Amino acid sequence: MRTDPPDELIMHLEHDQFVAETSRPVARAALSSRTIAALWALRVFVVLVSLMVIYTFVEQLS
Amino acid sequence: MSAREAVAPSPLLPQPLLTDEDTARSHDRARVHHARTHRKRWYLLWLLVGPGILAMLGENDGPSMIAYASDGAQYGLGFFVPFIPILFAMAYVCQEMCMRVGAVTHRGYGELVLQRYGRVWGWFGAGDLTLTNLVTLVAEFVSIRVGLSYFHLGAGVAVALGLTLVVFTLSGGRYWRWERIVLGMALFNGLFLAAAILVKPHVGALVSSFDFAPFPSGSFNTLLLLLASTIGATVTPWMIFFQQSASADKGMTPGDVKHGRYDTAAGAVLAAIFGIGALVAGAALLAHGGSGIQGFAGAGFPEALKHVAGGAAGAVFALGLIEAGAVAILTISASTAYAAGECVGVSHSFNSSPRGAAVFYAANVGVALLAAVVILIPGAPLLSIVLNANVLATVLLPVSLVLMLMLANDRGLMGAWANKRSTNVIGIAVIAFVGLCGAAYGIDSFLQTVHLVGS
Repeated sequence: MRTDPPDELIMHLEHDQFVAETSRPVARAALSSRTIAALWALRVFVVLVSLMVIYTFVEQLS
Repeated sequence: MSAREAVAPSPLLPQPLLTDEDTARSHDRARVHHARTHRKRWYLLWLLVGPGILAMLGENDGPSMIAYASDGAQYGLGFFVPFIPILFAMAYVCQEMCMRVGAVTHRGYGELVLQRYGRVWGWFGAGDLTLTNLVTLVAEFVSIRVGLSYFHLGAGVAVALGLTLVVFTLSGGRYWRWERIVLGMALFNGLFLAAAILVKPHVGALVSSFDFAPFPSGSFNTLLLLLASTIGATVTPWMIFFQQSASADKGMTPGDVKHGRYDTAAGAVLAAIFGIGALVAGAALLAHGGSGIQGFAGAGFPEALKHVAGGAAGAVFALGLIEAGAVAILTISASTAYAAGECVGVSHSFNSSPRGAAVFYAANVGVALLAAVVILIPGAPLLSIVLNANVLATVLLPVSLVLMLMLANDRGLMGAWANKRSTNVIGIAVIAFVGLCGAAYGIDSFLQTVHLVGS
């Protein structure tokens, strides 16, 4: 439910704390191609190791 | 111009309309404002503690305490008594960043990653979180079940207790109420310290263990498993999501960062002390065939402690396991709910009503329900799930930590609150250590499983 904002309540919240403000997305960061490549490399590595852990887990069951 | 300034409205625009969430949060902030202006320092601290202690004590969960007790039962105190505080110091570095980013941006980890670095990274993070949380929640229900079995109560009671707590704590529609209930429960993590005292440890051995004895003996893979599972008992993806989102939900601001650091540090110290308590209690079994009691095998710890140190020690340890599992179910379910709401882009606050934040509440209850169903499946491999929960969390952690480090360094978001060079150096060292241990265990275990290397 939305109501008119009582001043004594508003004064205790920072402007960017209001739901109306936090609902607005922050601007997208411009990542360098090197950073994106590093993130993908880490992602692929982590997925591969996770698959190894899951494979080991399934093998231990059988 | 900063990222947040880029979307900030003109001061000439009318004030935003208040939602119920704003109203609840502003009431909490009014008390903080009153305590600060009237210099009520202890009351201010009381108002601002919460997310840090909950993240740290929430991570002292069933599998973690069993991991510490296992370490003690198999290897004694030597290596682990100094190792556990080091791990919690590492956890402090990570969690302080989460708290700071949440207090400065007023946004959760999931939504910031998604908005700032793209949907792919946001959904990857949420996927990792959901997977590790589900596995860990199953382990928490098993932990409660193990504790209850000491009192001759079964799996049905464990499920009913866990789900009742989730629904009960959600029922108030206020972040403050949820936080205080869970905080009150979390302090019973101290039962592991009581268990340690009840086993009457040799004080001299405890003090000399700080000499940092050499690494425990055993096969290379066993050592890696010990490292990976002990790290997974200290720093995990859910803690990152939880503390940042909870700090934002609590309404923390940059002016509260100092108290947020006290909160996080207090959580780390308490968690380390209670973790060492579980280790010391487990170490009482070292001279009594403790090496045979690994993980949850035979649900042995409370019963074994009863035979070695008396019924009180066994009962306190069993109650500790119930508490550890129950608190972790609440915090881990909450982290899943925050991530779901943030990634879908809908209301995600304990200060919203269930009708206003249906996805948040449904995810909170749903993930706990799903885990509860698993432990009721006859013949489900619960022991294997428990033993692998911490390891999987360790393996998936580096990506979450890297993105957290990027957020904490993002001057467009953080301005003057961005990381200092020293924080980055320590943060990168933590990520490298965690990544190396998790990957080494995963790869070595896999190579052994496919018989490419000998065990």
